[in-house]
Amino acid sequence: MERKNVSAVHYLLLVPGVGFILLFIGSSIFLTVTQSVGLFSITGKSQFTLENWNIVFHEKESLDSILFSMKMGLLSSIGTLLFAFPVALFLRKGGSGKRFLASLIKIPLFIPALVAAFLIINLISFHGIINETLMALHIIKSPLRMLNDKFGWGVVAIQVWKNIPFVLLILSGSLASIRDDTVDAARNLGAGAFSILFRIYIPLAMPAILVSMILMFIKAFGDFAITSVAGPTYPPSIALRMRNTATMFQQWDKAAVLGVIIILTTLFVTWIYSRLAEFVTGGE
Amino acid sequence: MAGLSQAKPRSLLDIMNRRRLYGLLTTFFIVVQLIWIGTPIVMTVLWSLVNPDYPWSFPSMFPEKLSWAQWVYVFKYTNIIRALETSYAIAPCAVLLSFLLSLPTAYVLGRKKIPGKKFFMMIVLLPIIMPGMVVALFLSRVFQAFGLAQSFLGLVLAHTLMGLPYMIRVLTTSFEAIPQDIIDAAENLGANTFVKIRDIFLPMVRPGLLAGMVFAFTTSIEEFNLTFIIGTPTFETIPTILYSFLGYNFIRTNASVVALIMMIPNIVMLFAVERFLKSDYLSASLGKL
Repeated sequence: MERKNVSAVHYLLLVPGVGFILLFIGSSIFLTVTQSVGLFSITGKSQFTLENWNIVFHEKESLDSILFSMKMGLLSSIGTLLFAFPVALFLRKGGSGKRFLASLIKIPLFIPALVAAFLIINLISFHGIINETLMALHIIKSPLRMLNDKFGWGVVAIQVWKNIPFVLLILSGSLASIRDDTVDAARNLGAGAFSILFRIYIPLAMPAILVSMILMFIKAFGDFAITSVAGPTYPPSIALRMRNTATMFQQWDKAAVLGVIIILTTLFVTWIYSRLAEFVTGGE
Repeated sequence: MAGLSQAKPRSLLDIMNRRRLYGLLTTFFIVVQLIWIGTPIVMTVLWSLVNPDYPWSFPSMFPEKLSWAQWVYVFKYTNIIRALETSYAIAPCAVLLSFLLSLPTAYVLGRKKIPGKKFFMMIVLLPIIMPGMVVALFLSRVFQAFGLAQSFLGLVLAHTLMGLPYMIRVLTTSFEAIPQDIIDAAENLGANTFVKIRDIFLPMVRPGLLAGMVFAFTTSIEEFNLTFIIGTPTFETIPTILYSFLGYNFIRTNASVVALIMMIPNIVMLFAVERFLKSDYLSASLGKL
């Protein structure tokens, strides 16, 4: 179809966009990986060593941080999906008032993450409106600790509030592409609301559901800002620990190990997604 | 008989009931959303208007007196104006640069069949997929080596990096959607490359371009990780200033003012460009990895 020299021009045209990304992301990943094994070290001399890996894996604090971040990633992705999916399903068909509803829901998408964190902090703080209301209704006797709580519910609440519209947009595009004929045919054959949900909507929207969960997990797992203002005092998220190790304690090599762990987890999760997506769509 | 009664068409009453149920559900969802999104925002507005002489504390549900004192204080005694200038100077530069960089790339990815297209589409998503703090920390080392750390140019490049995935992906989808017939017809009538770009490609990708620009702009305005590591303390943007108010010196009233300053332009923009932000753009461009 195309001549060969034309194809070379095409690759050249890719350079500005793809090349820019490869240059910057590639160089930072390269530095992370090499520094984690002691090469190109900034502090100390450069030589191959696995000592920092050894230290990180024998440190209870590092392992706590990794587990905490994984927990946050998992809970945030599940929580956001549980809120967003029913709304996306409801918004699939047009109707009076739904346009207004759809733009209302989109607002948090345009609220920066840190601002969202602050907005929710106001609500869940010790004398925030939620605690005050619950106390006024005599549901609880003393205020609950929801901000900087040990488990991290505050962080999950912020992630869910901020990211519902993001997930909703991905899901509703996919739900909109399901043809009404399919749903009508199922209904004609006697399918109830439940079997339509579980045998048509959910399977057909599965790739989008998986993508939104993966992107949410990655976001919440590598989060720095939200955990540092609303998370527990201990353990810090892995990104927070990495940054402190690097800039406060100047242990860049050790920080690089944590960085590699974050990158590997991210890649692993993405890989699992692509396998699952293949499984769901039958390898297309 | 059971089969027959199932096949019976729905009665008018049924349909009317159903419609009423949907109306009720819509109202319910709207009320829930108004509380869900409205309460946090109203609380922040109230906090930003607290009069410092009449502190708002437990157990009063509303501040006794309102005043603009907090706003005046923040504009007078903090670096907010410089931060606003920096933020709104970086964003247009980053949007423009990412547009120029992504145009040729998106054209090839959207219109040409090249081997490895899937791979390149994946590479494009890397800035979103890669954890921000890792990239920020070690990119700052790279930037330091090239003298880009703590510089305006460095920040523009970093923000461009974060905006590129949205820009390339959305533009690629728009390029894909142009019918080949139109291009063939134009070529038939003797259109050269320049005419094709001016009269076909640019007008037809304009909605996607606007969506991509909005995404790149908001990404730049709220970008925190890279700015925090590469820019502070020389450059402060609104997110980094808000972070300092939320961190070691937590001052709720000041933080409220800064939060509103960050939020209001974004929400105004949301309603201004609402019609360009049909869900299909984000879904089509990010729906698959």
